[in-house]
Amino acid sequence: MIRNYFKIAWRSLIKEKTFAGINIVGLSVAFASAVLLGMYSIYELSYDNFHQSDRIYQSYSTYEVPSGRQILVSQPIPFAEALKQEVPGIEQIARYNAGSEVIISEGKQFRFSVAFTDPHFFKIFDFPVSRGDSEALGKPNEIALTQETAQTIFGKEEAVGKTISMQLDGEEKPFLVTSVLKNIPQNSSLGFDIAADFTQQSSSAYRDLKDDWGHANHEVYIKLEPGVSVANFEKASRAFSNSHNQGFIEQMKKEGVSPDENGQFIQERLLPLKDIHLAKEKDGMLMADRLFPNLLLGIAILIIFIASVNFINMSIARNFQRIREIGMRKTLGAGKGQLFFQFWGESLLVFLFSALLGLGIARLLLKEFQSLFRTSASLDMIITPQGVLFLLLIVLLVSLIAGGYPAFSASRIETISALKGRLSRDGNNQLRDTLIVFQFAIAILLISGTVVLYSQLEYLQNKDLGFNKQEVISIPMNGKKEDARVIQQLRNELGKTPGIESITAANGVLGLGLDGGRSSSAMSFQFEGRTVETNLLMVEYDYPETIGLELVAGRSFDRSRPADSLAVIINENMAQQLNQEKIIGTPLQMDDTGAEKFTVIGVVKDYNFQDLDQAIEPISLFLKPHWNMRYIYVKVRNANSAAILKTIEKAWKKIEPEAEFQGSYLNENIDRILKREKNMITMITSGSIVAITLSCMGLFAMSLIVAAQRKKEIGIRKVVGAGIGTVTMLLTRDFVKLVLVAFVIATPVAWYFSSEWLQNYPYRVSLSLWMFLAAGLIALIIAVFTISFKTIHAAVQNPVKSLKTE
Amino acid sequence: MLTLDHIYKWVNNGGRRVFLLNDLNLKVEQGEFLSIMGPSGSGKSTLLNVIAMLDEFDEGEYYFDGEAIHELKPKKRTAIFNENIGFIFQAYHLLDDLTVYENIETPLLYKKVNRSERQSRVADMLDRFNIVGKKDLFPHQLSGGQQQLVGIARALIINPKLILADEPTGNLNSKQSEEIMELFAELNKEGTTIIQATHSESNAAYGTRTIHLLDGSIVKN
Repeated sequence: MIRNYFKIAWRSLIKEKTFAGINIVGLSVAFASAVLLGMYSIYELSYDNFHQSDRIYQSYSTYEVPSGRQILVSQPIPFAEALKQEVPGIEQIARYNAGSEVIISEGKQFRFSVAFTDPHFFKIFDFPVSRGDSEALGKPNEIALTQETAQTIFGKEEAVGKTISMQLDGEEKPFLVTSVLKNIPQNSSLGFDIAADFTQQSSSAYRDLKDDWGHANHEVYIKLEPGVSVANFEKASRAFSNSHNQGFIEQMKKEGVSPDENGQFIQERLLPLKDIHLAKEKDGMLMADRLFPNLLLGIAILIIFIASVNFINMSIARNFQRIREIGMRKTLGAGKGQLFFQFWGESLLVFLFSALLGLGIARLLLKEFQSLFRTSASLDMIITPQGVLFLLLIVLLVSLIAGGYPAFSASRIETISALKGRLSRDGNNQLRDTLIVFQFAIAILLISGTVVLYSQLEYLQNKDLGFNKQEVISIPMNGKKEDARVIQQLRNELGKTPGIESITAANGVLGLGLDGGRSSSAMSFQFEGRTVETNLLMVEYDYPETIGLELVAGRSFDRSRPADSLAVIINENMAQQLNQEKIIGTPLQMDDTGAEKFTVIGVVKDYNFQDLDQAIEPISLFLKPHWNMRYIYVKVRNANSAAILKTIEKAWKKIEPEAEFQGSYLNENIDRILKREKNMITMITSGSIVAITLSCMGLFAMSLIVAAQRKKEIGIRKVVGAGIGTVTMLLTRDFVKLVLVAFVIATPVAWYFSSEWLQNYPYRVSLSLWMFLAAGLIALIIAVFTISFKTIHAAVQNPVKSLKTE
Repeated sequence: MLTLDHIYKWVNNGGRRVFLLNDLNLKVEQGEFLSIMGPSGSGKSTLLNVIAMLDEFDEGEYYFDGEAIHELKPKKRTAIFNENIGFIFQAYHLLDDLTVYENIETPLLYKKVNRSERQSRVADMLDRFNIVGKKDLFPHQLSGGQQQLVGIARALIINPKLILADEPTGNLNSKQSEEIMELFAELNKEGTTIIQATHSESNAAYGTRTIHLLDGSIVKN
């Protein structure tokens, strides 16, 4: 019997090549897109799931300050030990500070990401040792490499037992490699090449701050004891926070800051490990923001829905053509169940075939997909026994819904009316029209989403950020030489080069450089009895001029004035905070000792020194030529010139022959921080292209069917004098109506979601009706174009021909 | 074998009742070959459909083999139909996608007859109608007469007690018609009860009895 079902199914597919083709192409494209989107989404959601324990958390603190609540994931060095001693419920605790360091082995120089951490780290997390001492970081001078790092440094030689040096505090410090770790999975939010003992960091990061509760510079990870809840732990930590931060709490009270709902000015909190990758600040807490992966899953489902709608509509329409067969089979003794299984079998065949094809297409597109979205998500994550079973279940379910309804309706047709070829069409047309409306509503929703996202990206890219992004190059200082020397040598090398206007440096980057590093520092200090917060940036001479900041008051740093070493330039926001009638010359007492008193010498216009989804905060620029600068900035005369970049690279190679040159224009850096938005645009755009294409394929099939059904009517109309235009209109009108209804349904939904999403951005485009009209118009034009093939063809047919066939 | 007792069937047309079957009484005995004649719209097909239990009637009683059909659930009715009646159509109604062999086999598949028995029964049937050589052809590759032969073979495969034929030769030329009628006569001799609806006097003459229908009633028996 089953064999028979499939035999019949196969033959009916072969017979209806057009429809089978449209269905299989549509469904396999839909499955391919869904698999890729689903894979990406599952990958994003799978971060850190390779760690066995569900009791791992990242510690963070919230502070109530005059400007509201502040979230800090960094902790001071004595924090971890004290917390473990004083708050019950901690099984393990480890400090973690990762940064880029220079490693030297047998005269060769490398740059690796080094994680300075406590030995307990390896008891909290599952980063297994593959060779060497199974207890990594047993002694302070021991070091652990990942397999990849070991391979890079030593090639095929055994790494365990070798000694390598790390450049710390300007010296080469030796370490003994005792363990090689298995490579860290791609979906790990903690990534490093080398793990070293926390106490071995440069003295500015560890020794100088060893007992300092006022400086926070590293992350802390905690494994709770079994049965300890986050709420209980957070409650138990309150006494701890209060006892270690008395000064801060007193000050906040004095300034009239109100504590949180539990009367706390400082609250220790725990962020679950599995939320870290997607963590975002929300309502004064860190929470996983799963919007993007969920959005993608949603798009994947919508696409499958659209393809299934095509399938349902075509199946129902084809039931009309097969109605005599259904009646016949009934008189031959077919039961409802048997008919149902026959028709469902046909859809199952189509779905299984399409799913396999879709998987194949997804495999072919995988490389493209990975590089387009810069993801290491791969199909291996899906093709596991459970994954395949799940896919199969989905296919079964979708085919049951999409193939089941037509099969069900076919099996219920009355034998007699079926034999006579009679069937009431109204009910089915309603279902068909509703489904088409939904299809187009989804397509319009996705298209308008694309339009809004694109406008926002365009807006952010073209926004005046307050600095010169076209003519400034940033170069990460990733070499071995002392920063001040590099800057000096580069100035000597390039100072007279035509096309180069000035060279400077700072310890922060604008946007995101090619090195991918970010760092920022901020502090708060007392000013006229108030707490003032500011971001800090250490800069070289010419910084404001080089990157093109606009001075609104005062002057810039001046080489001829030695007193400028205690000068500070602030932005307008900072000036507002200080709130002085005459801001230039205002003295700032920025540390507790009172040793250094700074003076405001200039105010620059607010500029976007942080991400573009953040409002501009106060910032203070200090002249610190001998600081640990991280980036060189070069102002060139011609915007985005590649030739001058080459010249600079040549000079760089002369100064730092070992280090890679990673110079890039600031607008490229800005584009890099918009990666998330771009990813979103690409995905939603691809999603909407797939959605509209599939919808149109369905529409095309429907126009074929409708033209066939109304052949006689068209013939009669033409005989009585209807022109080609009128007939085309007649056939097009019904479909256009559906698209219009879809537009009316989709627009408010699209409007709502777009405005919700735009709330994330302090700088955003204002929504306007044209964005949605454009989306609707695109859908309409494509739809009319699609059906015009068949409608015009039907309209120009010789009416005698179509009447003769009746 | 079957008794129709005061059968009425009507449709409402603009508030007026139009009778398709009007106080129809009919008794058919085992072994009869009954021809139903009458002009178009006289109710021949409706009567056959009612006998086949494919169509409902509004009033009256219908006994088939002693069972009161009018009292049965639709499901039970369908079961009796599937068990006892073979239906032959004017337009053959073969399944286009299936070969001759498969068309004949289909009723057995629905009855869940096992494979070896199916094979032997279909082979017998092909033999009997001399169409073994055509078993792998599709309907559109056959002439009208051959298609109707397949239709008859398919109706007979379940060994029905009763064969209902609605204008079985309506689409055939006279030579093909004759062959089909001879076949019916032969089947009848072998013991199968046959009821056919026809326009043609000569076809009706093959039957053992003829009734005439007009406006849903028997006018001449």
